[in-house]
Amino acid sequence: MNDGMRRTLGFARRVFRRKGALLSVLFLATVTFVAVFARWIVPYDPIGQDLISALEPPSARHWFGADELGRDIMSRVIYGARTSLLTAAGAVTIAALVGVPIGLVAGFFGGWRDAILMRIVDVLLSLPGILFAMALIAVLGRSQLAALVAVGITGIPSFARITRAQVLSLRKRDFVMAVEALGGSSTYNMFTTVLPNSWSPILVQVVILSSVAILLEAALAFLGVGIPPPTPSWGEMLRTGKSYLYEAPYYAVLPGIVLTLTILSLDTLGRTLALVLEDRHEVAEEEAEPDRSAA
Amino acid sequence: MTGYIIRRLFQLLPVLLISSVGIWAMIYAVPGTPVGAIVGENGTQEQIQAAIERLGLDQPVLVQFWSWFRGAILGDFGFSTQSRQPVLDIIVQRIPATVQLGTFAILIGLILGIPVAVISAVYPGSWIDRSLSGWSALALGVPTFWLGILLILLFSVHLNWLPSASGYVSFWENPLLAIRNTFLPALTLGVYVSGIFARFLRASLLSELKADYVRTARSKGLKERDVIGRHVLRNALLPFVTVVGLMAAAFIGGTVVTEAVFTYPGIGRLLIQAISTRDYPLIQGVILFILVVHVLINLLVDVLYAYIDPRIDYS
Repeated sequence: MNDGMRRTLGFARRVFRRKGALLSVLFLATVTFVAVFARWIVPYDPIGQDLISALEPPSARHWFGADELGRDIMSRVIYGARTSLLTAAGAVTIAALVGVPIGLVAGFFGGWRDAILMRIVDVLLSLPGILFAMALIAVLGRSQLAALVAVGITGIPSFARITRAQVLSLRKRDFVMAVEALGGSSTYNMFTTVLPNSWSPILVQVVILSSVAILLEAALAFLGVGIPPPTPSWGEMLRTGKSYLYEAPYYAVLPGIVLTLTILSLDTLGRTLALVLEDRHEVAEEEAEPDRSAA
Repeated sequence: MTGYIIRRLFQLLPVLLISSVGIWAMIYAVPGTPVGAIVGENGTQEQIQAAIERLGLDQPVLVQFWSWFRGAILGDFGFSTQSRQPVLDIIVQRIPATVQLGTFAILIGLILGIPVAVISAVYPGSWIDRSLSGWSALALGVPTFWLGILLILLFSVHLNWLPSASGYVSFWENPLLAIRNTFLPALTLGVYVSGIFARFLRASLLSELKADYVRTARSKGLKERDVIGRHVLRNALLPFVTVVGLMAAAFIGGTVVTEAVFTYPGIGRLLIQAISTRDYPLIQGVILFILVVHVLINLLVDVLYAYIDPRIDYS
């Protein structure tokens, strides 16, 4: 076993020693598994209508009951996991691909580059995330891509700020100065010296922002501006379920439980990662609370 | 102090300017023509002509932006494509409802959050601290729209105590009816902010408890209750004011989801309606309004903080 593997194992052990993190990872693994193999797991076609069993309560036939068009709610929750996870993955990728370089350049060079880049980030922060996303969707129209891009853009400031803070704390360290003194170019220095030492806070941010992205996607769908139907989405199910609170209360409750557990799991995991990494002094002091004021 | 405020205002200018350019450009970015976006699908010939003049489409782009921007500064956002009313009037009508909901929500958040923070800071690491931290995590993690649905199920469907859809009744006209209508949405938001308040205040209390003056107070024989209530809490509440202010700023525009759950007629719901009817002048107006309020309250909170805490050096 080499050194890297041993470190990773030790790290994993420290994370999983905390019961909350362990449970979260187990739950998230289940959700991911179910989302990936959805086609072979679902008992019914998630968009197949069966009007005779419309609003049927949970039973052996339909574990989570059936919706207003007789579609199996459990199958829709399973496919909804796919929508949520894909949107979160895409959005976080966009946010990281744009935000990390912004923070890297702003923190590394400082000066006018820092001023301009961080002003742009301020603009993104001048509106609550959900409003920014809604404005963007109002322009782009309602589609899966629009939801993904909108959620992704709202995540850029977090990555930019976290990376910048981390870079600032590394900038004057001996090993970074050494590369500079030896004549390494700034680009080389940024990407091969500073960036590899900034992974910890970025990783924490990836996990936390995934939870924010899932929440935001669901909120947009709930408002009727997210991913258009009939694509199953947890937020959309809550939106429709809300109209049948008297006839079919389970309709809005069951998808909500899965959504909430997913968000809580990602949150718990993110916090545990931050704690464990902080013990190793790898995370910069500044820890940004994610913006979910609206959702 | 005045210098500090002016300097902060100047720092805001680029942010406000760039954001306004973005909001202005929305009209040009939507599919179809900008004139169509401004008058809607069934505009009359006159309205189309007025829109062309208003946009100044034959003018250079900078002139087009300037005339829109000047109008916006003077409070002229144009007319709604749906109701044909001035956008500003529609927004102004919705302000009281949103402010009332936000105020109630913050009150509930304080009532729930402060005791949680104080108890868990007094017994850090105990089972009660751990379960109260669990409460904060839950309050922050449960999506407000789902919590709202659960509250409707309990209080409206099951117990039949409160209405499931909330209208706006002014507190000053009919306090009881106002509370009846605003309670559920305010509780939904209040639970959420109580999580933020509790977490922040707990951290702030814990750091104050380590201060020297606490040891002094204890060693001169003060009761623990007085140490906490008279000394620690007062100092810890100072930074806490900032958080409360920031949440107030967020609630001006950020109650979109909760307003949707309870069909509450506030600014957030206005925005959703505007988006679903593709009423672009209204969308622009609401977003610009929220943006300006958000930015200004943030500024106000900073200034207030510098004012109430003389230790802050704002030079």
